[in-house]
Amino acid sequence: MTLNPSPPPAARTVPIAWFAVALLVVAGVAVAATAGYYALRPTSTPGSIALTDDLGRNVTVPYDPSRVVVLSPSIVDTMYRLGLRSHIVGVDCYAPALGGISEDYSPDQVALWGLNSSMCVEIGPTFDFESLLNQTPQLVLASTIVSVESVEQITTTYHIPVVMLQPPTVNGVLVDVSMIGRIFGVESQANALNAQLSTELASAANAVGSLESFPTVLVTYDVDQNGYWTFGPDTFGQSLIELSGAANIAAAANGTFAYPELSGEQVLAADPAYLVYATGYGLTESTYANAPFWHDLTAVNDGNLTGIDSNWITEPDPTMILSGLPALIAAFHPST
Amino acid sequence: MASGRPAADGSPRAGAVPSARRHRLLRLAVLGGGALLLLLLSPLLGTVPIPPLTVLDLFLNHLSGGFLFSDPCAGLGITATKCTAYGEIVWEARVPEVLLAVFAGASLGMAGGTLQGVFRNPLADPFLLGLSSGGTLGAAVVLVLHIGETEEYLFLPLFAFVGACATGLAILAVARGRFGSIETLLLVGVALSNLLSAILTLFLLYNPISSQQVYFWLLGGLGEATWIGDGVALGVLLVAGTLLALLGRDLNLLQLGHDVAQTAGVDSRRVRIDLILLASILTAVAVAFTGIIGFVGLVSPHVVRRLIGTDYRLVLPGSAAAGAGFLLIARDLSLVIFPTSVLPIGIFTAFAGVPFFLYLLYRSRAASPMGVAG
Repeated sequence: MTLNPSPPPAARTVPIAWFAVALLVVAGVAVAATAGYYALRPTSTPGSIALTDDLGRNVTVPYDPSRVVVLSPSIVDTMYRLGLRSHIVGVDCYAPALGGISEDYSPDQVALWGLNSSMCVEIGPTFDFESLLNQTPQLVLASTIVSVESVEQITTTYHIPVVMLQPPTVNGVLVDVSMIGRIFGVESQANALNAQLSTELASAANAVGSLESFPTVLVTYDVDQNGYWTFGPDTFGQSLIELSGAANIAAAANGTFAYPELSGEQVLAADPAYLVYATGYGLTESTYANAPFWHDLTAVNDGNLTGIDSNWITEPDPTMILSGLPALIAAFHPST
Repeated sequence: MASGRPAADGSPRAGAVPSARRHRLLRLAVLGGGALLLLLLSPLLGTVPIPPLTVLDLFLNHLSGGFLFSDPCAGLGITATKCTAYGEIVWEARVPEVLLAVFAGASLGMAGGTLQGVFRNPLADPFLLGLSSGGTLGAAVVLVLHIGETEEYLFLPLFAFVGACATGLAILAVARGRFGSIETLLLVGVALSNLLSAILTLFLLYNPISSQQVYFWLLGGLGEATWIGDGVALGVLLVAGTLLALLGRDLNLLQLGHDVAQTAGVDSRRVRIDLILLASILTAVAVAFTGIIGFVGLVSPHVVRRLIGTDYRLVLPGSAAAGAGFLLIARDLSLVIFPTSVLPIGIFTAFAGVPFFLYLLYRSRAASPMGVAG
């Protein structure tokens, strides 16, 4: 017997239109739900301050909140210098089971600022919102180490205002100091700190202002078998290097990435006159010595090599200006 | 082929007696009951230790709008502010997270069961075929190109839908000329998956700030769960899941080959397109809210076929229940082992899934895991 297939009836299949309908339903639900959620967001109330943060977000925050979660060491540094440590009830940390608070803060910072594991708000590898809510914060101050989506969830789901503080330049640090001073009603302390920072910046400008040319430099904060991680253009690191009277080889070598990894070949070709590497968090000179072409670099062979505390040059805060900038000037201009 | 022509209901096992079917239904019910039990118990676990009875009181207090258990933290010796925080943890974090595990797990399980049936290959799953990578790439486009800005919260899942569905359509389009070949479809899927992963890696390198967010999708997790997201995920699961369940009989007939299915009145080409698109939609909803979570779509259908046979009218809902239960087990396991941390859930789906998967393969080495279709 021969099989003679009959034409398939169309009614037995699910038409393509169903998929479009399903997608439209989902999109409609999502639009309606999201619109409703945004409509429910809290508005300005008495005793609150409206401000624009470093990411251009308009935020309304409570005035002088007593319970603040701070998700960046650089912001803790500013608050500590403004006498606001007692307001901090939680800080960022990496998975407590893996690294905890010591992953994000150096032992010196933990001791100086009086931090402990009970303050841990886990921001990585996955943000743990339970640990944030458990601190019952009135305000969250964060940098871009926290994803925009997590920030959105904190504000829309848990109705906790978040101010993003991520200064793009060294001068942006002063702006953030003023903003924090305004939030907590400590404008006079903020002005005093900014005066101190301005003095240091003026001193740096004076030290390098008479130079005829800037030496080429590489400031690296980590290395691997592929090359050297450094600051690219339009970053606070690039701004810091310029203020210290030096020419960043990464600004010319790779103009695409904000924080590029320069290959060993690129670094060797640029052959910087001075090299600064960040220390701490397990990083030592021997770590960097494993990077490609390290021993072929003129800066290494001439001894123009300086290790500087990572917290001084990788975090945009007052410490970067007060300690990191003088250290860089000393490294790049040993005769001044 | 053991049974010759298919049964009138499309079941590959034409000679199955009614009692055997009852047994399979009973096992399906047990599977669903197990997932339900896990759903009820899972909110008791979290990174902040809250007594189980308090969790229950807080949940019922919120559910009743404050009518029941007006003082849910009585006896704990904590402030009202802390009690409010506990309430938010349970109602706004834990319960949405557990529900997301159920909806995403069910979606991935069902998508995996569907794809394994369509491709008649026990290795086919949303990840192998690139549907997950497509969804992740869709989300990455939003983040890297800053589409929507403040409405990013809305655009992320929508673009993930588009990415996964576009990948499913691309597989079909590229392989259209030789659509009868299952191998071609599978290979096209694998090739697209690699291409999409390469594009995604380029995105990661290009924009380090957005990379942090894209990283979330690559690692996978339940931590971004919200009631809104859960509502969308449930809506998609209900629509696509129901349509898939209606296609269970046709999927059974596809297992017998193109000619037999055609003889039985099934337009195999059209059914395959429908099935792949529905699996894409289910994968997209999971990826949009949880990122890439591996192994659920692969393991769940295998478990179900071992328990209730190869009738896809039962395998698909069974895979949904198994996927939901599997993801809940992975979540709970992570919190039992590391009670103070939220680690990428994919680590634990592998921890829980691989040994069990190997055990299943060991137990069934004499038999084809795909039953008559193998």
